[in-house]
Amino acid sequence: MLVKVLAFAGFREILGKERELSLNESVTVKELLAELAVATPRFKEAAFDESGALRDYVLLMINRKLIDSRQDLSRPLQEGDELAIFPPLAGG
Amino acid sequence: MLSDSEKKRYSRQIRLFGEDGQEKLKRTRVFIAGAGGLGSVISIYMAAAGFGKIRICDCDAVELSNLNRQILHANADVSRPKALSAYETLTGINPEIEVEAEVQTISEDNIDQLLLGSDLIMDAMDNFPVRYLLNRAALKRKIPLFHGAISGYQGQATTIIPGKTACLSCIFPRAPPAATFPALGSTCGIIGSIQVTEAVKYVTGTGKLLENRLLLWDGLNACLDEMACERNSVCRDCSE
Repeated sequence: MLVKVLAFAGFREILGKERELSLNESVTVKELLAELAVATPRFKEAAFDESGALRDYVLLMINRKLIDSRQDLSRPLQEGDELAIFPPLAGG
Repeated sequence: MLSDSEKKRYSRQIRLFGEDGQEKLKRTRVFIAGAGGLGSVISIYMAAAGFGKIRICDCDAVELSNLNRQILHANADVSRPKALSAYETLTGINPEIEVEAEVQTISEDNIDQLLLGSDLIMDAMDNFPVRYLLNRAALKRKIPLFHGAISGYQGQATTIIPGKTACLSCIFPRAPPAATFPALGSTCGIIGSIQVTEAVKYVTGTGKLLENRLLLWDGLNACLDEMACERNSVCRDCSE
């Protein structure tokens, strides 16, 4: 199945604005992020902590709607889904 | 009632929302948290637009490295308190409004005093702990919080209406780490201007607010996106 990944802010500089990935059926959000981390070490460094967990402030959105980045990581992705990843900005 | 001078000063925006809308702006008391990059843009446009009473708070003094973006302050203001420099700039732009400058660090201890009488809160902070404090204060008082944040070419904004929209903690449950962010004046210009536009719309009752929508600006690619958000039923700050 095809899934689109949209990256924002600092993640966009690493991953590019968007990419389409061909994945096995029923791949979860967590598995997709792990795949991106393996393919792009800079993304791994930016998005994951030393223990390998997704940094807790990173926002995830499926089809442009925020999901809970703690509880919904095991959510299986569907054909055509768009996963967005965004590190919140804090400057002023 | 607007004076003749006010009718003339605001004539171009009275075409947008009438004298009635202008009077609503005049009656509105604003709290601006921060007189830095975002606070400069927000306060200048709010003062010029005729928000009747502006209280602006910042604990810092102007540094040379602020001047690439903090357009409230001039070279001669280096080392002076930002809030005082802000007071002079804003009253210079519009002597027909009331401006109050507070040289204070916003904290649990003084937030009630600082927000006394305010109808809305403009978020121009540079850190999430104080933003969460503003969020809780907005929820407690049931007054809107206009959120904005920037880093480099990137910015984000949303409008928080207590009891109606997701609050700041629903959208950003955990704070990103504190850091010294790259900052470009024009990015502050875009995000601060969006925040002020939202406040004008809220007060005059026009348009569609950024309610339950997080706006993301990417200046590097010149594109704007938005994400839907909703109230978190177990939010630590706004769930009942």
